[in-house]
Amino acid sequence: MTRGNVSLTAFLWSVIAFLVIYPLSVLVIESFKIAGSTGWGLANYLGFFKDTYYLKTFWNTLVLSTLVLLTTTLFGVPLAYILARYRHRGKTVFTALILLPIVLPAFAGVFAFIIFFGKFGTLNLILMESGLIKAPINFIYGTHGLVFIQSLHLLPFIVLSLSAGFTNIDPAFEEAAEVEGASGFWRFITVTLPLCTPSYLAGAVIVFLWPFTDWLTPLILGKVDFLPSVAYINIAYHFTDMHRKYMGIVAVVVSSVVCIVLFVLARRWVERKKYTGLSKGTTSEGRVIEPGPVIKYGSYLYMLAISFVVLLIPIVLGLSAFSRRWVFEPFPTYWTLDNFRAIFFESPLLIKNSFLFSGIALVFGVVFGLMAAYVIVRTRIWGTNALDFVITLMLAFPGMAVGVSYMLAFWKDIPLATHWIIMPLALFARRLPYFLRMAHSSYLQLDISLEEASEVSGVGKFKTFFYISLPLLIKGVLVGVVMFFIMAFQEISTAIFLYRGGWETLPIGIYLNWHRGMEFGIAAAMAFLMIVITFILLLIISRIGGGIMKAAWGPGPGGKR
Amino acid sequence: MAFIEIKNLLKRYGKVVAVNHIDLEVKQGEMLTLLGPSGCGKTTTLRCIAGLEKPEDGDIVIDGRSMLAEGFVQPSDRGIGMVFQNYAVWPHMKVFNNVAYGLKFQKIPKRTIRERSLQVLEMVGLGGLEDRYPGQLSGGQQQRVALARALVRNPKVLLLDEPLSNLDAKLREKMRFEIKSLVRRMGMTAVYVTHDQAEAMVISDRIVVMDSGNVVQIGTAQDIYQTPANRFVADFIGAMNFISGEVLTAAPETDSTYVKTEFNETLLCKTPAGMLLRQGDRVFASIRPEDVEIFSERPEEKSENLIKGTIAHKAYLGNFLFFFVTVNGHTIRVQVAHYIPLEEGADIYISLNPQKCMVLV
Ligand SMILES: Nc1ncnc2c1ncn2[C@@H]1O[C@H](COP(=O)(O)OP(=O)(O)OP(=O)(O)O)[C@@H](O)[C@H]1O
Ligand SMILES: [Mg+2]
Repeated sequence: MTRGNVSLTAFLWSVIAFLVIYPLSVLVIESFKIAGSTGWGLANYLGFFKDTYYLKTFWNTLVLSTLVLLTTTLFGVPLAYILARYRHRGKTVFTALILLPIVLPAFAGVFAFIIFFGKFGTLNLILMESGLIKAPINFIYGTHGLVFIQSLHLLPFIVLSLSAGFTNIDPAFEEAAEVEGASGFWRFITVTLPLCTPSYLAGAVIVFLWPFTDWLTPLILGKVDFLPSVAYINIAYHFTDMHRKYMGIVAVVVSSVVCIVLFVLARRWVERKKYTGLSKGTTSEGRVIEPGPVIKYGSYLYMLAISFVVLLIPIVLGLSAFSRRWVFEPFPTYWTLDNFRAIFFESPLLIKNSFLFSGIALVFGVVFGLMAAYVIVRTRIWGTNALDFVITLMLAFPGMAVGVSYMLAFWKDIPLATHWIIMPLALFARRLPYFLRMAHSSYLQLDISLEEASEVSGVGKFKTFFYISLPLLIKGVLVGVVMFFIMAFQEISTAIFLYRGGWETLPIGIYLNWHRGMEFGIAAAMAFLMIVITFILLLIISRIGGGIMKAAWGPGPGGKR
Repeated sequence: MAFIEIKNLLKRYGKVVAVNHIDLEVKQGEMLTLLGPSGCGKTTTLRCIAGLEKPEDGDIVIDGRSMLAEGFVQPSDRGIGMVFQNYAVWPHMKVFNNVAYGLKFQKIPKRTIRERSLQVLEMVGLGGLEDRYPGQLSGGQQQRVALARALVRNPKVLLLDEPLSNLDAKLREKMRFEIKSLVRRMGMTAVYVTHDQAEAMVISDRIVVMDSGNVVQIGTAQDIYQTPANRFVADFIGAMNFISGEVLTAAPETDSTYVKTEFNETLLCKTPAGMLLRQGDRVFASIRPEDVEIFSERPEEKSENLIKGTIAHKAYLGNFLFFFVTVNGHTIRVQVAHYIPLEEGADIYISLNPQKCMVLV
């Protein structure tokens, strides 16, 4: 409890206060202002919940959340089981493909599926040409398309959390059930699934909350009667209409409250269950089964199907990116590099901005994250747990809320929003948890005596951090760095409210190209470019990260994979 | 003169008092062991010496320099070496770099660092393994790396926290002697923590017995075994029979006391030096199992401290024989070094040697 640690904590808190707590309280305060007067009150909220339209959007969002959760669960449970339990070839490749949507920007999927599943998209054209159908089928526009696209984007969260659950169950629990005579499906329902509930819930809450934060997908699909989309339209297009502006702000606050409350409740529940439900001493691999031929080929087919849909995103975007005038044809016929020429030569600013803003945000994020992880794990200073809590909450917070609150908070009194630095600052605040969680969890695994051994060897605290702690944390830190960068790079919900002419990033460029009805190819090429960059980053991390770790640890624990 | 002086040391964790105002002195070149049951504050004391914990009160003086009075001295500036219970060998460095680590931050020529590190590795019996990663070593070898790392800078003080507790029994016994002779040879002052009494007795010049944050007794292994300060020490070190009773006659001028036991026998016991007893005090007549003699017939020559009992159980342990003798419902353990043909259920006599039977509270 040295003075240095206390001032470090104070510094971290002041950063959080300035970049998170202050703007968000401005947002909340704004929502209680009464339009056209200096008064305060609940009028906005009453107006919101009395208006049947807004009430309906709230209801729609809830329904959408439920549908998405049901769909992802339905498809996710078998997938997670296959990945966690069956021994099969190509496990790594399938896992990577199925988890891919986590790192792909959500809007990339939307554009790809519009091209493929749209009214005159590839699929409809193929079906019509083959004579199977007369008129095009509406695959994608409407609630069903929304459910499909969002579910595909969120499926990895369910699969990840569930397969972690399946892997972590002590095999003895299931073996005991089998000894008692419950085998196969019955055992799965009565023992395996209930034991996985905590892990499932951790993923399910992220899935359920997504429709409360995703404004873009409904907008592109032409179904806007959902809370976040309505909020976006009200604030972005009708800021001068006081009533609509305040309804928009209320919608943002309401979705934020839903997200925070559900997120906190779920976490509480999961934490409590985790300690009571699971036993220790499992092997790192968990229980692995050799499936019979029918199940084996069935599961291959299933994984292939889902991988195919995921792969459609880069493939379709790639086709579109390298072609022009791809309309009313199942596949492009005119190949060109024009789209990329336009991106690189006519507006290289977007790429530069994307790298610049994400890069600066990353530097902030890493410095802040390492310091925060240190005080949270290694000191017992008052307030560090709360710090951890607040930062974790950012995981659940709608990006839009951050954007709107920055717009309100950093305009008049603290005119930060007039300088481009607001962009990286906002990205930093929004993506804070991604690096910190990784640094935090690797720090937790770092035995303190490894650091102490260095200190008693005559090496001071600061050098100890660089020569002992950091190299041992490097795996988590590198993964955190890449995750942070990928997530900052594709950020749009916050940035869309803050950018000004000249500050556009790639995601904003994609949105604007679609929005202004300009060349769809350019938007697709930008999205494709982002996917390629993301791929390269993932490749780098798997190369360097894996290699270094293997060398140092050998195939023992700590060097998993 | 004391090389390490611990004065009035107090360390709390919230409400728990881990170390309760203790005083200790470690002489130059001495191997001192902190011994006690789990949670008694051994590790905490050691960590206070190392500077890994900040005590609330008291002072620690190492080689004439106060670690606390004139500002807190960081662990890195205390000139100590330490072996951790879990070894804490850095997994990302080769054995050589683990050992050379501390030297690299001093202004020492590279060649000297290399020679010194290899020499210490040789000393702990790890010659030739310097290019391995710790993940490629056995537990015992990792333990030696930790030892080499602690020794390499030739520290004034060596601290060892249960360094052998993760090894198997055979290796543990071997390493006891190795560590002892190594530390002797290098002439270091060492503080050794263990909860294993046999280990403590083998390895140390003096033993400090601790109990819930307090020092209960300090002395050589022999002192502590033969004249334990109280029931706790007697029970913790070796085995001891405790027969509760009250003082019948207290004669301060002699070193003997008559104790009337709960089973109505009168036992003649030795009074530990400095213990003041009055008639009627509740005490324990205490005797080690190996100091009890067992007879199948009433022996003629013994009259003092002879008690009649029954053998409840017997256990054959190879090098000695153990009897559990019941006397009026109480069990007394007897250990004999030679075979005696006595069966369970037999009525026998036991004799509690008055020279070895002592009064404890
Ligand atoms: N970091 C800590 N926080 C809170 N309490 C602690 C901490 N470290 C030790 N204690 C408490 O202080 C007391 C002494 O602990 P210490 O580790 O010194 O025991 P020990 O004698 O080394 O035991 P063992 O033989 O089990 O290692 C115990 O009651 C323990 O619970
Ligand atoms: Mg200990």
